[in-house]
Amino acid sequence: MTAEEIKKVNSLVPIKGKIIKINQETSDTKTYTITDENGKKPFTPMPGQLGMLSIPNVGEAMFSITNQGENSIDMAIKSVGTLTNALFDVEEGQECGIRGPYGNGFPLEKCKGRDILFIAGGIGLAPVRSLIMHCIKNRADYGKLTVIYGARSYSDLVFKEDILENWAKVDNMDVFVTIDRGEECWKQHVGFVPSYVEELNLPPTLTFVCGPPIMIKFTLQSLMKMGYNEDEVITTMEMRMKCGIGKCGRCNIGSCFVCLDGPVFTMREMNALPQEY
Amino acid sequence: MKGITKEKLNQLLQALSGDYQVFVPAKTSDTVTKFQPYGEGVQMFWQENTLLSPKDIFFPQTEKMYKFKTKGMSVDIATITPPDAPKILFGIRSCDVQSIDCMDKVFLTRGYEDEFYKTRRENTLLFALACSTHADTCFCTSMGIDPQQASLADVQMSDVGDAFALEAKTPAGEEVLKKFDANLVELSNPKIVPLDEILIHVDMEGVSEKLEGMFEHPLWDEVSSKCIGCSTCTYLCPTCYCFDIDSKLHGEDGTKIRCWDCCMFSEYSRMAGGHNPRPSKKERVRNRFMDKLLYNKKRHGQVFCVGCGRCVAKCPVNLEIATIIQKVKEAAI
Amino acid sequence: MSDISQKMRDVAKKLLQDGTVSLVIGWEKGNLWYKSAPAFISLPEDADRLVFDDFCYHNLSKYLIDRRDMDGKITIFVKGCDSRSLIGMIQDKQIAREKLYIIGIPCPGMKEDKAAVGKKPGADLPEAKKCALCVNPNPLIYDELIGEKAPDREKKNDEILEKVEAMSQDEKYEFWQEQFSTCIRCYACRNVCPVCTCRECCFDSSAPQWLGKAENPSENSFYHLTRALHMAGRCVGCGECERVCPMGLPVMLLNRKLTKEVESLFNESPAGTVMEDMAAMNHYRLDDPEEFM
Repeated sequence: MTAEEIKKVNSLVPIKGKIIKINQETSDTKTYTITDENGKKPFTPMPGQLGMLSIPNVGEAMFSITNQGENSIDMAIKSVGTLTNALFDVEEGQECGIRGPYGNGFPLEKCKGRDILFIAGGIGLAPVRSLIMHCIKNRADYGKLTVIYGARSYSDLVFKEDILENWAKVDNMDVFVTIDRGEECWKQHVGFVPSYVEELNLPPTLTFVCGPPIMIKFTLQSLMKMGYNEDEVITTMEMRMKCGIGKCGRCNIGSCFVCLDGPVFTMREMNALPQEY
Repeated sequence: MKGITKEKLNQLLQALSGDYQVFVPAKTSDTVTKFQPYGEGVQMFWQENTLLSPKDIFFPQTEKMYKFKTKGMSVDIATITPPDAPKILFGIRSCDVQSIDCMDKVFLTRGYEDEFYKTRRENTLLFALACSTHADTCFCTSMGIDPQQASLADVQMSDVGDAFALEAKTPAGEEVLKKFDANLVELSNPKIVPLDEILIHVDMEGVSEKLEGMFEHPLWDEVSSKCIGCSTCTYLCPTCYCFDIDSKLHGEDGTKIRCWDCCMFSEYSRMAGGHNPRPSKKERVRNRFMDKLLYNKKRHGQVFCVGCGRCVAKCPVNLEIATIIQKVKEAAI
Repeated sequence: MSDISQKMRDVAKKLLQDGTVSLVIGWEKGNLWYKSAPAFISLPEDADRLVFDDFCYHNLSKYLIDRRDMDGKITIFVKGCDSRSLIGMIQDKQIAREKLYIIGIPCPGMKEDKAAVGKKPGADLPEAKKCALCVNPNPLIYDELIGEKAPDREKKNDEILEKVEAMSQDEKYEFWQEQFSTCIRCYACRNVCPVCTCRECCFDSSAPQWLGKAENPSENSFYHLTRALHMAGRCVGCGECERVCPMGLPVMLLNRKLTKEVESLFNESPAGTVMEDMAAMNHYRLDDPEEFM
């Protein structure tokens, strides 16, 4: 989806929202369920789109929307800076500012009827999860779903219920989870995500990758080695954002704004951009 | 040809001020010239282009976006509507007129319209002034601009000695000249003061295309060495548009503001957690010039430099875009 | 002065060729006759770019900060005022003395480039504003000196400062509010200053955010007054801050006032004039004056 295809006009002013539910995923990550002030969905995002969440007297930042319900959207947020640290301390019922949806979202048309591989690391599972949940909700429209997910340790795994219980129960869906270093409680695979990907050696298919920059870099290298197609390996990028509408100039990689022309890019598109991210 | 004698200029401006907020180039201190609303005590300045570009009329350096109140867990938000009075930019030069076209492309196209810019920009008439003098640092002609004919002008003004000739270029321009016809005079045989030869010439032919392959070129190490990382060029540049969003707090109340920012600042693209995709001056200098000469051309079809020469005049270390264009043109690939 | 330019080129060429230094920082011509710019030369054949003329204002010592860990030694050309900031930097341990091969150039005074606008090359120009109160035309630290020693300069009265000092409290407030409301917070003054060497400037900090980006007289005042206080007693009077200000703010006025205060309170040598004497605010003695406490 290009910027031109996004018809909705959004201003820089948020609407009033409310955080109705907070779920602690790991020691530093929580999932926030957000509605507008009337308990309805603030907007309807496509999988892969982003939203600007603000506590007005603290700050505003862009987060990927990890799932949506009938009346709410979910954001999984890791505590790393001023706003996210403040968010970490809020309680259910906290009002906020919310605006969106922004970004081009995942190319759903491309996914129809296909077998899809999702590779994610750490908090990188959050943006990809919106697509996984969409595929699960519309199961018949998509082929075999495979998830390869890893994190530094057991306690760093996010969406544990999904990756360890729920998704394995979904029809024609495989989930492979790994952690970087072995632990007492962990009986599954141990190792980094890129090497696990090579180990599993799945046949090339439509693939979505997201995680820390270094993990994306090595995973993409592995996939290229395994003969994956540049147009069929898709990633979602992250940069510092302020306006979210491609005006303030900050989030550019070359001539693309991550908030407007991205955050979803194919590998071919990534390779054409200056390597500055 | 209709016009206004320089003697009677004030009368015309006063008359126009009845219906419009008229911005004129003015001297506000010994060292500063900028566009100001016409009124009593405003010292108009025609000798050369203003130091501060007129971009702050539509895109103020600090702009209030909305008010908010945070108390306990509750949040309240109230939009602030920017002023939308009809305006005339009187005496704006071709380079700055072209820059308004660039800013329009940034703020009003590609999926979203920036409501703050749009409100200020609507109902604005451009009375462009043909340059009869130029600064040492001007190079608009190299950027495809005619200093005596502004592309987007509603009315083209030209210095004909003791008067300004006024030629309507658009229906809106025609309408306003008709409305204020009583203040105008018929000029017999007006001769436009010709412009002296411009000193700085650069060859833009193929520069944007060449830059595509120059991301890793050693040129950037060389040119970025002397940059001191201030925002003089950016804040004076009429086509630079980067902004930041910040809050001003007063206890429970606050205002969200948008303000000019500069990609040359070290923390401009620094992310929460510390990662910075442009950690050193080299990356930031490269990004700024690539953005002006290539990226914006890809996004909007035009190079974002109008040859106004403000950066040439004011950069503390004479690192300015005319020389960069030359260096790119001459660089060995 | 063209004689000096040739000497600069010869010595730079030699130092680079025999490997004594790996970088030479000097000046070269800009794109207008009244503009010169800092030059970074690392190849002997590029040394011919170096010049010393009426427009070599730039205090090059600031550029050493980013290069203190680079391989090899650095040659830097300094005028009188520049050499003072170099002494200050070495005292502050911002750069190691052993890293530098300093070439001093006695300075005849620069010319005012703002007066050259619109004039033809070679036009008669007044002395640069920043040179008006100079008392150190000769470099105070160098490994080698190029050119004849400049004649001593008489200490002049700081008339501009005296004029502001004579204002009433209200007049002073009005004066400064008018100046600060013109500031566009480009930070050119801070970035060019050789004394402002903090790795992360307090004004760049986002957590906590001491100063936002909003431009208004209040925040502008906070910036200028804080910076002046951070530099109190350490300013070497090179005047670069005022020269680079695009809006023509009298930035040096604040610095000169504080320099005067510090000098009268502590009676120590001016900043950066004697290597063994740290700037007054950078050290303490048990017998320091206390009357103001």
